[in-house]
Amino acid sequence: MERQTILQGRVLITPLTAFLIALLGFPLLLDLLYSVSQVGFENIRAPEISGLGNYAKALADPEFWAAAWFSLRFGLIVASIQVVAGLVLAIFLAPLFAARPWLIAFLMLPMMVAPALVGLMYRLILHEFVGVVPYYLLEWYGDFPAFLGRQWVFTTLVVIETLQWTPFALLILHSAYAAISPDVREAAALDGATGLRQLVSIDLPLMLPAIGVTAFIRFIDSFRVFDNIYTLVGSGAGGSTTSMSIYIYQAFFKVGDIGLAVAASMLLLAASFVVLWTINRLTARREPAP
Amino acid sequence: MNQTLSSRPVMSALRWLVFAVAVLVLNFPVIATLVTSLKSDAEISSNASLIIEHPTLDNYAAIFAMADRFDILHYLMNSLVASLIGSVLAIALAFPAAYAMARFKTGRSWLLPLAVNLRAVPLIIFAIPIYLMYQQVGLLDTRLGLAFIFALVNIPLVLVLFTSAIAELPFEIEEAARVDGASTLRLIWHVVLPMSLNVVAASSVLAFIYSWNEFLFGLMLTTSRATPISVGASFFFAASGGGVRWGVAAAVMILATLPPLLLGLLMYRQIGRSMTAGAVKG
Repeated sequence: MERQTILQGRVLITPLTAFLIALLGFPLLLDLLYSVSQVGFENIRAPEISGLGNYAKALADPEFWAAAWFSLRFGLIVASIQVVAGLVLAIFLAPLFAARPWLIAFLMLPMMVAPALVGLMYRLILHEFVGVVPYYLLEWYGDFPAFLGRQWVFTTLVVIETLQWTPFALLILHSAYAAISPDVREAAALDGATGLRQLVSIDLPLMLPAIGVTAFIRFIDSFRVFDNIYTLVGSGAGGSTTSMSIYIYQAFFKVGDIGLAVAASMLLLAASFVVLWTINRLTARREPAP
Repeated sequence: MNQTLSSRPVMSALRWLVFAVAVLVLNFPVIATLVTSLKSDAEISSNASLIIEHPTLDNYAAIFAMADRFDILHYLMNSLVASLIGSVLAIALAFPAAYAMARFKTGRSWLLPLAVNLRAVPLIIFAIPIYLMYQQVGLLDTRLGLAFIFALVNIPLVLVLFTSAIAELPFEIEEAARVDGASTLRLIWHVVLPMSLNVVAASSVLAFIYSWNEFLFGLMLTTSRATPISVGASFFFAASGGGVRWGVAAAVMILATLPPLLLGLLMYRQIGRSMTAGAVKG
């Protein structure tokens, strides 16, 4: 019986495993091979192993570091704003959602729109002649900034990303807030902790795991940002909006430097592993032993 | 105490105000695009405000008149077919595996963490070799090739949701069926799956929306035959001769966004639950 369940279990996970090997494992091997090869579209089937030159090239490329820095900064800033905004909204609007749960549907809508389409929508909305934002700024203040110019484009992208994904933080943090037992709050109230003190000493500590998870997911998603930046500005003025994903895409499709693109991919993968490993260790340590 | 009572209506009004502002600000791109899509070309260039003086559906009609150059129905159909296949495939692959992990602990120590961490890895890493692979096997620019990617993108989420849902099911019913001599596959199909329909439905909606909205692989792996709507929509922004026809482009945005938006409104409860569970349990 025991051996039979082991066998059955293996059979059941086989299709998924095979699928992941085909679409992740095999590509990963190709990534590894091409990253240490002299390869272009002309010798794609017979790459010439050439050592770590591609890695050296990526690491020596100031644009690679600029892209890494852009993604890191973008991810950290956007995730922080979203968590704070989501937290404030989740707690302040909690009584409304408690009475009418469907209200939250309207705040979840931005997440249903494809980020690529959101980028395109802003091409229209920020357009200097037909855009609604420049129109009103001109009406009210007599001037508007060059939203997609070098000076403003980072801020513009931060606002766009924040508006679309604050709902995610709101959703997760709202459910964490709603899950706090009323008994806990009542007990705290009996001890004299109400209002702000209750928030700081009871609610926020209890929500801390959810806050951590939200911040992590939002950071990861914004770090690998591609769609909305690509459709709105591409790599931007002087490469000022080249995220890591855009850097790899361009190295491959625009420059045709497969080795460089793939080496950059592997470096990004290594960085992801370091981050994931660190997070896993941190959370493992914090979780109480069962 | 009296003070808090009298401030209650004020606080409540303030909450409604904040809620209304949040809805308008967060949904601003869609609202502004919808407004533009209902204006005539002439009005768009003379009046960029949020007020529509002469509402018209001309832009929506104009989309279909351009079908010889940019065929929106074709893009929509590509997205629909590939998203459906991708979502079903993700579920078909993940459900048995989730069962094995929840009940037999098979692969729990490596397959589950691998799939879960996959969500945190930028998928562009795999995009280039997948492109080269697809080129070799003829999957480039096909709906099936796109569907495989959509399945891949959604597997981490559905796997997490299924594994935790199956683990919470009562074991007794399965045991009873097993005593009656049902094989594992029959058991999964006739007993476990019907008991998990809620989770399956909720996660398939979310998987469909994520597939519909996917862009990077659609951009890289298709050129014309299998172009999904997320990529095809951008074609309407290509300035040709008289420049971008903003009204038409706006109407295209709205049509492309409508399916996930409606699903989101109708199934917000299931979507919200899946997103939360996916985040917390992952």
